[in-house]
Amino acid sequence: MPGTPVNTKTDNERELNFWENLYFPELFKGLGFSLNKITDEPTYTLQYPEEQWYPPDSYRGRPVLVEENGRPRCVSCNLCARACPPLAISMQSQEVDNVKEREPEWFEINMLRCIYCGFCEEVCPEEAIIMSKEYDMTFQSRDEAVFGLDRLLKPKEQMQDRLEYLDQYKNRQFGQQWDFQQDNNLHSVKDQHFLDWLADEGMKGLKNTHLRDDPKASSGEQSWGSQREEPAFSEHAPE
Amino acid sequence: MATAPQFPGLDFGDKFRFWPKHNEKIYERLEAKHAWIEEKRAAQGDGGVPATEWSEEDPLENEMILNMGPQHPATHGVLRCVVKLDGETIEKAVLDIGYLHRGIEKLAESKTYQEFMPYTDRMDYLSPYSNNVAWCLAVEKLAGIEIPERAAWIRMIMCELARISSHCLWLGVGLMDAGAVSGFLWTFQQREDIYSIFDEVAGARFTVSHARIGGVASDLTPRSFELIRAFCDSFREELASWQKFLNRNRIWIERNKDVGRITKEEAIELGMTGPNLRGSGVEYDVRRFEPYLKYDEVDFTIPIRDEGDCLARYFLRLEEMEQSIRIIEQCLDRMPEGPIRADDAKQAYPSKDEVYYSMEGMIHDFMYTDVGTQAPKGANAYHAVESPKGELGFYLTSDGTGRPFRVRINAPSFTNLQGMEYIMEGSLVADTVVIIGSIDPVMGEADK
Repeated sequence: MPGTPVNTKTDNERELNFWENLYFPELFKGLGFSLNKITDEPTYTLQYPEEQWYPPDSYRGRPVLVEENGRPRCVSCNLCARACPPLAISMQSQEVDNVKEREPEWFEINMLRCIYCGFCEEVCPEEAIIMSKEYDMTFQSRDEAVFGLDRLLKPKEQMQDRLEYLDQYKNRQFGQQWDFQQDNNLHSVKDQHFLDWLADEGMKGLKNTHLRDDPKASSGEQSWGSQREEPAFSEHAPE
Repeated sequence: MATAPQFPGLDFGDKFRFWPKHNEKIYERLEAKHAWIEEKRAAQGDGGVPATEWSEEDPLENEMILNMGPQHPATHGVLRCVVKLDGETIEKAVLDIGYLHRGIEKLAESKTYQEFMPYTDRMDYLSPYSNNVAWCLAVEKLAGIEIPERAAWIRMIMCELARISSHCLWLGVGLMDAGAVSGFLWTFQQREDIYSIFDEVAGARFTVSHARIGGVASDLTPRSFELIRAFCDSFREELASWQKFLNRNRIWIERNKDVGRITKEEAIELGMTGPNLRGSGVEYDVRRFEPYLKYDEVDFTIPIRDEGDCLARYFLRLEEMEQSIRIIEQCLDRMPEGPIRADDAKQAYPSKDEVYYSMEGMIHDFMYTDVGTQAPKGANAYHAVESPKGELGFYLTSDGTGRPFRVRINAPSFTNLQGMEYIMEGSLVADTVVIIGSIDPVMGEADK
C-alpha cells in the first residue's frame, strides 16, 4: 500500500551516551563540519558583478518585443495587456499600410509592475512578445522604468535561443494532430508564399481591405445633443 | 487616538485608523487570558501568594510584557507575539497576525482562474509549486477537467522538490535559531540546486507559475531530467551528512528535546496539520488518505513520531525529505511521453502551434485568456494537497462565469499558528524561536 504511515523511530535516537554528552567534542565536530565544507568542496558562489550568471533558455527575464525585418511582429491586439496580472502593459494601435494592417503606435511596459510571470508570452498569438534573459535592470527614476518601443524591440536574430526553446518545449501541439503548414495559415497574410503568388499574378501586394472612408468617424467637435448633425467626413486611414 | 486628517479628501472616517484600538484589544486579551499556569498555581496552593493576587505582589518585578516581532528575525516573517513573562517563563501569549495581509481571497474574485496563479506563488513563498498545484487541482475538480498523465507526473516531481526546498529552509533557519549560523548556508546550497531545477523547468527560480489549469505550461527539457537525477544523488549524500552531524549532536538535541511538546489529543484539538500533526503521532497525510495526482501509484512511507516535541518534528522532516527523493525517482522512471495539457480549448490553453497556424486555435486563445475556464453554475469544490507545511486546500464556488464567485483558502500555516499560543505558554523565552522555527509558519500564507 503506498503511503503507509510508519513510526520509524530508532532506539536511543533521543538519548545520548556518555561520550556524546561531553560538550567540547560537539563544538569541534560542528567546526569540523564547516571546515570540511570550506576546504573540500568547490566554490559554489559567483563573484556576482564581475562574474555574470548566464540563464538557461527557459529563463523568464524581462519581456521584449520581437522585431522582424525592421518592423515589430506585434499586431497590437491587446491580448497581453488583458492577460497581464499586474496590469503592466499598455499600448495604442494604429493602422498601417502593409499586409499586417495594424501595429502599435506606442507600446509601454512598466518594468516596476512587471512580475515576469510570462503570461504575455503565453497568450501572444503572433509570438511577438517573448521573455528575454535580461534580469538585472536598474532605474534612476520611476519614469525610466516605463519601457517604450525603443527599448522593447529586439531583432529576432538576438532572441534565437528563446524562440527555439519555445518552439521545442512550449509550442508543440499536443492535441489532435493537425497537418498544418505555414501556407495554410489563414490569419497570417504576411505569408511570403501568398505574397509571391500575388506578385506573379500581377498584383503588387494586398490592398488594405478596409481603408475606411468612414462617414461615422467624427472630428470630436460636434454636439451630440439636439443640435446633432452628421459628423464631418474625415480621411481616417493613414497614408 | 489618532487625530482627524488634515486633508479633507483623504478622510476615510475611522476605517484606517484602527491601530490604537486594535493594539488595546491585544493587551486586553492578554490580561483576560486564563492561562493554565495560573490554574496550576492556584491548585497547588504552595504557600505562596494566591494566583488572583499574583500581579499585585511582585516585589522582584519578575513580570513583564514583551513584544516579540513583527520585525523579529526569528519569527519567519511578520509574526507578532505579545507575551507576558514571569521571569524567564512565558505565562501568557497572544499572537497578532495580519501584517502581510493582501486580501488575495478577495482579489481572486476579479481574476480568471488562470490569472490567479501568480498570486498563489506568493502565498507560501517557500514552496510555490505546491500552491500552484493545489490551485490547479481545485479548479480542475470544480470544472471537471482531466489532466494528461505526463502533466500529473511532472507536477508530482515538482511538488516533492518544493517539499524538499521548504524543509531545507526550515532546517537551515532552525539551525540558525539554535545558534549554528553557518548551517543555514549548507542547507541553502541545496535549495539553490532546486532553484536551478525550477529555473530550467519553469523559467523562474522562485515564483514559478508553471502549473496551468489542465496541465503544465511547458515540457521538461533533457537538461532538467539530468539536473533532477543529479540532485537526487547529491542530496541523498548531503542529507546523510546532516544526519550524521545533527542526530547525535548534544547542542542540537538539548535545544529541541521536550521543547514545544504537544500530545496527540492536543494536536487534534488545536487543529495542527502536516508534520506538526504527524510529529505527535497522528497518522494523517492527504497524500495517503485522499490521494491526488499519482500518489496512490508510487511507493513511499509516511514517517510518524509520537513524542510531539521539536526533536520529533526534526527527525520526521528529515525522513520526509528522504521519502520525497524516493517519490521523485519513481516518478522519473515511470513518466510516459505524451501531451502536457488537456486537449480541449474550453479547459486549457491550446498549443501555440495551433494558435499560430489555425484560426480556431487563435480564437480559442483569445477566448481562454479573456473568459477562461467556465465551471458550471453553482458548482463548488474543495481540494486539498499535502503541502510541505500541511494540508493546503482551496474551496471554490462558481457562478458560471470564468471567475470564482468566492475562494476560501485553508492555509496550513494559519491552522498551525492556532496551536502556537498554547505551546508557548509555560515554555521559556529562549525556546520561542526554536518553537516558531519548528512549527514552521509562513506568514505570506497565514495572512493571505
